[in-house]
Amino acid sequence: MKKNPILKIFLSLLVLAVAVLYMYPIIMIVLNSLKVESAISTNTVFELPRSNSFNGLNNFITAITKQGFLQSFFYSVFITVTSLISILVCCSMCAYFITRIRSKVSSFLYYLFVFSMVVPFQMVMFTLAQTADTLRLNTPYNIFIIYLGFGAGLAVFMFAGFMKSVPIEVEEAAMIDGCNPLQTFFLIVLPILKPTIVSVGILEAMWLWNDYLLPTLVLDIKKYMTIPMLIQYFRGSYGKVEMGPMMASIVLTVLPIILVYIFAQKYIIKGMTSGAVKG
Amino acid sequence: MKKLLSIFAILTLITSTLFACSSNNTASSTPATEAATEAAVDAVTEEGTEVANEPIAEAPKASGQVYYLNFKPEADEAWQSLAKSYTEETGVPVTVVTAASGNYETTLMSEMSKSSAPTLFQVNGPVGLANWVDVCYDLKDSAIYKELTSDSYALKNGNSVLGIAYVIESYGIIVNKTLLAKAGYSIDDIKSFADLQSIAEDITARSSELGFSAFTSAGLDGSSDWRFKTHLANLPIYFEYQNDGIEQSPAIKGTYLSNYKNIWDLYINNSTADPKLLSSKTGDDSRNEFLAKKAVFYQNGSWEYNSLHDGGFSDDELAMIPIYIGVGNEANQGLCTGTENYWCVNKDSKPEDIAATLDFMNWCVTSERGTLAMANAMGFVIPFKSAVASPNLFVRQDTEYTREGKTPVAWCFTTMPSEEWKNGVGQALTAYAADQTDDNWQGVVTAFVDGWKTEYDLAH
Amino acid sequence: MERSLRKYWPIFLLPTVIAFIIGFVVPFAEGLYLSFCQFTTVNNAKFIGIKNFIRAISDAQFGASFWFTLRFAICSVLSINIIAFIVALWLTKKFAGNNFLRAVFFMPNLIGGIVLGYIWQILINCVLSIVGKPLLALNSTAGFVGLIILMCWQQIGYMMIIYIAGLNSVPDSLIEASKIDGATNLQTLFKVKIPMVMPTITICMFLTLTNSFKLFDQNLALTGGDPNHQTEMLALNIYNTFYARAGAQWKGMGQAKAVIFFIIVILMSFAQLKLSRDSEIQQ
Repeated sequence: MKKNPILKIFLSLLVLAVAVLYMYPIIMIVLNSLKVESAISTNTVFELPRSNSFNGLNNFITAITKQGFLQSFFYSVFITVTSLISILVCCSMCAYFITRIRSKVSSFLYYLFVFSMVVPFQMVMFTLAQTADTLRLNTPYNIFIIYLGFGAGLAVFMFAGFMKSVPIEVEEAAMIDGCNPLQTFFLIVLPILKPTIVSVGILEAMWLWNDYLLPTLVLDIKKYMTIPMLIQYFRGSYGKVEMGPMMASIVLTVLPIILVYIFAQKYIIKGMTSGAVKG
Repeated sequence: MKKLLSIFAILTLITSTLFACSSNNTASSTPATEAATEAAVDAVTEEGTEVANEPIAEAPKASGQVYYLNFKPEADEAWQSLAKSYTEETGVPVTVVTAASGNYETTLMSEMSKSSAPTLFQVNGPVGLANWVDVCYDLKDSAIYKELTSDSYALKNGNSVLGIAYVIESYGIIVNKTLLAKAGYSIDDIKSFADLQSIAEDITARSSELGFSAFTSAGLDGSSDWRFKTHLANLPIYFEYQNDGIEQSPAIKGTYLSNYKNIWDLYINNSTADPKLLSSKTGDDSRNEFLAKKAVFYQNGSWEYNSLHDGGFSDDELAMIPIYIGVGNEANQGLCTGTENYWCVNKDSKPEDIAATLDFMNWCVTSERGTLAMANAMGFVIPFKSAVASPNLFVRQDTEYTREGKTPVAWCFTTMPSEEWKNGVGQALTAYAADQTDDNWQGVVTAFVDGWKTEYDLAH
Repeated sequence: MERSLRKYWPIFLLPTVIAFIIGFVVPFAEGLYLSFCQFTTVNNAKFIGIKNFIRAISDAQFGASFWFTLRFAICSVLSINIIAFIVALWLTKKFAGNNFLRAVFFMPNLIGGIVLGYIWQILINCVLSIVGKPLLALNSTAGFVGLIILMCWQQIGYMMIIYIAGLNSVPDSLIEASKIDGATNLQTLFKVKIPMVMPTITICMFLTLTNSFKLFDQNLALTGGDPNHQTEMLALNIYNTFYARAGAQWKGMGQAKAVIFFIIVILMSFAQLKLSRDSEIQQ
C-alpha cells in the first residue's frame, strides 16, 4: 500500500503541529524568558520577542547570579543523588532479605512497607518535620535519611515483587562456592535486578527532584532552598514579581529534565510504566 | 569482585558525607564562637553601662545569635545588608529570612515549631499578638522599649510589653499633581469626599480628551486586594469606633458602610478599566498605570514611595491626600497613620540568643548605621528617639498635616478579627465590582458585619 | 543459605528499617495519637478525645473541600482516561512520527507540580485577561477548569503509554477473527479490545483517582485555593489548617482531618485491590 508523497508530507506536518501545540506552554515560557520585564504582562505574553523587547540572556544571568539559582540547583541535585543511591542500595538489600528469609518479622515488615505507600503525606507532615528537626536531619547533607525512610515503601515493594521471581538456585550455588551473603547479593543478585533498579530509580528520582512540601517543612530554610522551593518563593514575592528572571529559572529547571529525557526516553517510559502497573 | 569494590566505594562515600556534614558543623561553629567572644569584648567596650542594666544579659550574651523572620519583602535587601554590617561590626551572626508575601503566618508557624526558631519575629497588632502571646518575651526592661517616643507604640498585655512597633506608615490617595493641574484642579481643591467625587467624575467625563483617568484600576487579586479589603475598610471601622467611643469590638455594626460603598463606587466607576474588567487586573497593572501617567489618583501608602521615585517621579509631582469618605470633620482629617509591624522576641529562644536579639534591635534603632539604613534604604519612619528624618515624601507630608492640626486616622484594621474576614470582604467587593447590584452590595455588608462576628467568636 | 544470610541482618535490614522508623513509623504513630490531642508542638500535647474529629467534620470548609476534591477527581479521571485511551488507539496505528508523538505526550509528566502550576497560571491568566474574565485568583470556575486542564496535560501521556502497552497485548488473532466474522471497527473496539484491556483500565482509573485525590503541589501553585478557599482541595485544606491558622485548636483539628483523609485513601486502595483481584479471577 503505497501512499501519495504529498499526503505523507502533509501527515508529517500534522504530527509536527500537534507536537508543537502540545508543547506550547513550555515554548511560551522559553520565549518570554528572552523578553525584557516590561514586555511580560498579562496582555503581551503571547507576543513573540521583538527587537525592542528582546533581552538576550540577561534574565538568565540575573537568575543565576542574583536569585540564588545555582545554590538551589546544587542542593536539588545533591539531595536527589544521595537519596537515590541510598534508596537503591539499602532498599534492594532489605527487599532481598525479607523475601529470602521467610519469617513473621519479614512478612510483617513487608506489609508495613506496602502500607506506607498508601499513606498520604499530609498524615505525617507535621510529625515528620518535628522528628527531623529533633534529630537535626534538616540539611541537604543528611536529609537523605528521611527520604530513605519515606521512599522505602515503594522501593521495597517493587524490589520484593521482582525478587520473588528470581530462582534461588543460582544464589545457593554461589554460596556453596564460598561467597558470603554480601558477595552473593552484590555479585549475583544485583546484576539480575538491573531492570528493576532502573524502574525504581526513575520513579524515585522523579519524586525526589520535584518534591516541594517535604523539603519546605524539613530543611533549614535559613540556609537551604531546593528548586521547587525557589520557584514557589519567587511566585509569592510581593506585588512586584520579577517575571523575567523567574521565567528564566523555570526554563533552567525544565531544561535538564528535557535533556535527560531525550537521552534516556526509552528507560524512563518503561520504568514509570512498569512501576505503575505493579503499584 | 570489581563490582563489589565499587559498591563499597559508594557506601564509603555515603558514610563520608555523613561524617563530612557533622565535621562541617563543628567547623562552622568554631569561628562563630570566636566571633562571639569578640562580640562580648565589643559589647562591653561600646555600651558598658547598658549591659549592666540588662537583667539576663552579661555572661551568656557572648554566644548568642539572631534569627529575624522579616515581614516586608520590599525591605529584604536592606535588611540583609544591615544584618551583614552588624555582623561585621560586632561579630554576632544575624540571619534574616524574608517570608514570601502572603506567607508570613505559614512560614512563621512552621519555623516556630523547629528547634532553631526565629528569635525575632513580628505580629500585626493585638489580634495577631493573641496567637503568639505565649511565646513573646516581655520587653518591659529592654533598652529598646526605653527608646520609644511614645508608649502607645508598645503592644501591651496587662503589665508586660510584648511587642514594639518599629515603623510608622501612612496611607492615603497618592496624587499625580501634574495631571491634576492639566485637568484644571490643584490638591487644594480637594477638601472633602464631595470635592473628590466631583473632580473624579469630571475627569471621567473628559477622560478621552484628557488622555487619562481619575483612578488606577483596582488590582483585586492577592497582589493588592489589601488596599481595599483592609486599608479602605479601615475608614468605616475607624469612624464607627470614634462614634461609639471604643477601640475594638466583638461585633461591628456597619454604621458607615454606605460611605464605604460611595467611595468604592467612585474608585471602580472612574478608573482606567471598565468595572467589569477590574478583576482581570493585578496590583502591578495598577502601579504601572500610575507610572505611565494614565491616572491621577492611586490609593497606596508611604511604602510605595521608593518604587514611584525609582519609576521617575520627582517629589514635586506627587502628593498624598487623606481618603475622604464623607464622615466626620473632613476639614480636620489627616492621613491614615499607624503601624501593623510590631517586633516580638521569642521567649523560648536560648537566653544568649534573646540577649543578642535585644542588642541587635537596639542597635538598629540607636546606632548611626542602623537608623540611617532604616530611614534611607527602607524609607521608614521609626518611632524611636534617635530616628533620622526620612527622605520619604509621603512621610514628611504626614508630619506636615499633623502640624497643621489635622487628626491622623488610626489603623483600626489591626483589630479586624482574622485574615479570613478580610478575604471574605475582598471576595464580596470583587463580586460587587463585576456586577453593581444591591444584592451584591448586600453580600459585602454580610461579609463585613456577620463575618466579623463569626470570625471573632471563632478566635475567642 | 538462610542461616548464613540471617546472620547478616544488621547489614541488610538495619539501614532501611532505621530510616523507615524515623521517616515513617514514628511520625505516623505520633500523628495518629496527636489527632486526639490539642497541641502546638509534639511536646505539649494534651489528650482531648475525639473533639478534634467533631471539629473537623463540622468545619464547613473541610466539607466544601471534600466535595470540590470529589468533583475534581471524577471530572479529571474521566477526561484523562477517555482522552488517553483515544490517543492510545490513534498511536497504536503505524505511521511516521508515531514514536515521536508518544515521547512528546509523555514529557509533561516529568515536570514537577509547582513548576507546572506556575506555567499554567501564567498561560490561563493571560487568556482570561484577553477575553476580559476575572483572573484565576478571583474565579473559581476558571480555577476548577484550569486544574483539570493541567492534570490532563500532565497525565494523559502517562496513561496513554499504559493503554498502548495494554492494547498491544491484545492478540492479533482475536482481532483478525472478529474481522472475519464481519465486525465493524467500532464493534471490534467495544466487543474485543475494551474487554481485553479492562484490567489496564482499572489500573489507570485508580492511578488517576489517587493522584487526583492527593493533589497538592499543582493546587498550591495554580490557584492556592483562591478565591476564598473555593478551589482548595483536601490536601491543601489540611496544610492550611496546620500552618495558615494560628491558635491552639487548629493543629489538632488539622491532624484529625489528615487521619480522615488517610482513611479515605486507604478505602480507595482496598477497593482497587478487590476490583483488580476480581477481574483476575474472571480471566
